[in-house]
Amino acid sequence: MKAVLALALSAITVAATAMAASNPGRDAILAAFAAEAKKADAGFAGFSPQRGQAFFATNHTGGKADTPSCTTCHTKDPTREGQTRAGKQIAPMAVSMTPDRFTDPEKVAKWFSRNCNGVLGRDCTAVEKGDFITYLSSM
Amino acid sequence: MHFDNGEIVICPPAFSCRTGRPARSRGDVSFGQGCGGTTTGSARNRGPNRSDDTAIAASASDRVTGTLVVRPRSEIKDAVRRVRVWDLPTRLFHWLLLGAVLAALGTELIAPPGWLEWHVAAGYAVAALLLFRGVWAFFGSDYSRVASFLYRPRQTLGYLRDLAKLRPAQYVGHNPAGAAMIFALVAVLAALVGTGLVALGGQEKQGPVAAIADFALGSGARSLHSYLAYALMAMVAAHIAGVIVDGRLHKSALVRAMITGWKRVPARLPLAAGRPSNMRAAAVTLAALSAPAVIALVLLSRLPPLGVPAMTPDPTWASECGSCHVLFHPSLLPRASWAALMDGLHDHFGEDAGLAPATAAEIGRFLQTYAAEAWDTKAAHRLSEVSAADPLRITAAPFWVRRHRRIDPAIFTSPAVKTKSNCIACHRDAASGRFDNQAIAIPDSPTGANP
Repeated sequence: MKAVLALALSAITVAATAMAASNPGRDAILAAFAAEAKKADAGFAGFSPQRGQAFFATNHTGGKADTPSCTTCHTKDPTREGQTRAGKQIAPMAVSMTPDRFTDPEKVAKWFSRNCNGVLGRDCTAVEKGDFITYLSSM
Repeated sequence: MHFDNGEIVICPPAFSCRTGRPARSRGDVSFGQGCGGTTTGSARNRGPNRSDDTAIAASASDRVTGTLVVRPRSEIKDAVRRVRVWDLPTRLFHWLLLGAVLAALGTELIAPPGWLEWHVAAGYAVAALLLFRGVWAFFGSDYSRVASFLYRPRQTLGYLRDLAKLRPAQYVGHNPAGAAMIFALVAVLAALVGTGLVALGGQEKQGPVAAIADFALGSGARSLHSYLAYALMAMVAAHIAGVIVDGRLHKSALVRAMITGWKRVPARLPLAAGRPSNMRAAAVTLAALSAPAVIALVLLSRLPPLGVPAMTPDPTWASECGSCHVLFHPSLLPRASWAALMDGLHDHFGEDAGLAPATAAEIGRFLQTYAAEAWDTKAAHRLSEVSAADPLRITAAPFWVRRHRRIDPAIFTSPAVKTKSNCIACHRDAASGRFDNQAIAIPDSPTGANP
């Protein structure tokens, strides 16, 4: 009985997570990053929210001095609003808070292009991008 | 009749004091009721001048012998009388004008820039008071009429020479120097109103001449306006000095006269004819002059200001630039700065703000169309002079730095403002590029210090 209940609960949790994360636009973007990752590395075994979380919270080097980390502007809690260096509010990065996050390929390309250059001083890899989106879709 | 000097009333033996008649004209020998030999108050007659028209003199021998003598007033040196010199409207005008001038000075020198509204109101009050005084110069009572203080230049120079020798002649109304000062004050005040309106229109794009005056004209008027203000302060000081000197030399209490309307003057001085004021004619004239003036001012104020083009915000500019920072109005940088800024988006004030080429081109076109060169506003003119070291940064422009130097730095980092580039946190009209003084609302300083 206990086991059945736990199973049902976890099923509901998984379903809810899947529902929150599932969006045709976002799925397509993730699929494109996955294909790119596979092309670069045949051993690619899927995106990891844990890796995405680490990437999000790390202080990187190589980027612009004022923005060493994603958290500089987006704060350590992706479910909360961030703030640009010019003081403008940024909607929470977490998909659970901002459902249309990562659904517009142009927007995604623009911001990865800008912010990877700003924070890391280079383009992000397909794996990093996919992990990032997977992490922020998982909460 | 004045008994407060210890003088006694003296009548000639040939006349009965009781049957004396009040003098109606100057130089007349008068016998007020005071000639009864009592000391019961003043014999203020009801003549047109409403002056205390009884001359009094007594010598020690008179007192001893008991002989009563009345002499023509002109022969009596120390006799004084009270004359109603300033009617109520003139007195009100004087003190209201003082109030308006002090208000104008205070709102400019002490109050924050947001008080421009009140400075302008004080200016309009000065204009209205001057208009009234101009009308009252023809319909007021004797000493308020301009005809009573028109002196020839030679008279004025002669008076000033005598004044230099501390022997100026005494006048019931305005003396020649005072009259000259009044004309000068009126001229300078009128010029202050005029230059103020042109400055308001040309520089601030507000008020009745905003549609006519351009920024250069407004700037010239603004300079002249401040020179005139300093001249006015010097003249007010001279005016007050004149009142003090006259008070010393003639024992005249001019300030009291301007409050009560009554002035003590030597009885020998000739009085004006005693024409009453014509309040009705003054009111009609004032209405006839001010109604068209007010209508013209209101209509002119509604015209669109010169050099403020109608701008339709480009939606791509609004969404792309507005996603990271407040939208900086295109008039806040010259074309060259916008062009350089759009060329350097990959290192945009420490951020990569790269855009797709087509998007960047569209935004660039919009910025070039509405850059500072396209505007005649104060912000466009002043901020066109960019910082040589940092030509893309609006907050580095010399004018920007100068204008914000007294703002507590803590305000810029306060939660309500966050950063210097957040114009709209204090300038509520920043989106329009106008930056009116009245639209400034600085959030409270976190350290409690007021800018």
